[in-house]
Amino acid sequence: MSHSDTVPLHPSSQSDIDEIENLIHASVQSAPATVLPARPPSPPRASIPVVSSSPFLQSNLPPPPPPSSNQKVPSVPEPPPPPSSSIAASGFGSAPNTLTEPVWDTVKRDLSRIVSNLKLVVFPNPYREDPGKALRDWDLWGPFFFIVFLGLALSWSASVKKSEVFAVAFALLAAGAVILTLNVLLLGGHIIFFQSLSLLGYCLFPLDVGALVCLLKDNVILKVIVVSVSLAWSSWAAYPFMSSAVNPRRKALALYPVFLMYVSVGFLIIAID
Amino acid sequence: MDLNPPAGENYANPKTCLFHVIFKAAALAFYILSALFVNSFVIIFVVTVLLAALDFWVVKNVSGRILVGLRWWNEINDLGESVWKFESLDQESLARMNKKDSWLFWWTLYLAAAAWIVLAIFSLIRLQADYLLVIGVCLTLSIANIVGFTKCRKDAKQKIQQFASQTIASRVTSTIQSAFSVV
Repeated sequence: MSHSDTVPLHPSSQSDIDEIENLIHASVQSAPATVLPARPPSPPRASIPVVSSSPFLQSNLPPPPPPSSNQKVPSVPEPPPPPSSSIAASGFGSAPNTLTEPVWDTVKRDLSRIVSNLKLVVFPNPYREDPGKALRDWDLWGPFFFIVFLGLALSWSASVKKSEVFAVAFALLAAGAVILTLNVLLLGGHIIFFQSLSLLGYCLFPLDVGALVCLLKDNVILKVIVVSVSLAWSSWAAYPFMSSAVNPRRKALALYPVFLMYVSVGFLIIAID
Repeated sequence: MDLNPPAGENYANPKTCLFHVIFKAAALAFYILSALFVNSFVIIFVVTVLLAALDFWVVKNVSGRILVGLRWWNEINDLGESVWKFESLDQESLARMNKKDSWLFWWTLYLAAAAWIVLAIFSLIRLQADYLLVIGVCLTLSIANIVGFTKCRKDAKQKIQQFASQTIASRVTSTIQSAFSVV
């Protein structure tokens, strides 16, 4: 477990991996793999069956952590594989895999999750009809990048008071997302706080694109057209999730503020000069 | 928890410890020194928040795993409810964790949050709302990590106790069974 100071990170975690693997091989008698039912909306990921025999290791269903790693379990249990060095891709199943995997794998997993969430939310796909499942693996990194990007784009376009513009844009978007979520919750809707924040953040992607285009080309008519298109796109993206979360009679009450917020961001984009 | 690092051991994962500390220190240093050198609030905001976010990610995904063997996350189960999940190494591995590593991990976590709170108080006194925004974001990230890892550690301790009592119970029953079979 202890190494000299010259050992780089990856090999030290590799040796941790090997040690822990040996430990587990020694202590685990049988290795039945517990398996999750496969979820249709999830993109293909590193599949790792999970060992449930040890009481310590979380025999759970590899879940998607908030800005953290993720793994999916296949619907067919794999035979217990030989201890291998590439943990995340191998079939050796036990919870320490997420604890002892190489750092690069975590990064890749998070990045791929951002991309898949973006595709699910913003682009047409067959899972939009079941919104509860679609953003199951919510994460807040995507929204964070999109909000900062939008703030930067607005700030760049502004010729004066750049700092105020950025601060106002960031605060408006962040507070707006929180307030919209609270609105849905207070209307008696069933939505999970972070999932909704994540969704509203991802729905900012079209406005990001619009702001980028407006940044590059400073024609008012073009700006109006681009902003209207991206506004419609954002609202279309947010609609299924928001409307399914509340009582059908209160759909408009939940959707109207979302639309209002996007309209105000759109005005900010147009009006900045 | 003592104020001095446990003696007699070296850091087992020096590079991880370094990364654990470096982003926190960089975010705090940049924020404090930037007022002297940088005019633009946007740059201060973006760089500080970016460093804080990187630090959050590193602590949560890398140094938490490697230095103390803990990991926490949230997932949404099939019923649509949000569930917090905690994961920890088993007892032997936890016991083998380097004491100095875990000392460093917890202390820097708490110190960084305390530093942000102090800076927040300064900002409040000076009535600078926009700097308060930056500090708010960084503080939220630090506190999220602290809460998550503390809960995870408690969960791990609970599991160890459960395991110990289970083992004792099963050993007692098997001893009794073998005693009866002999008789």
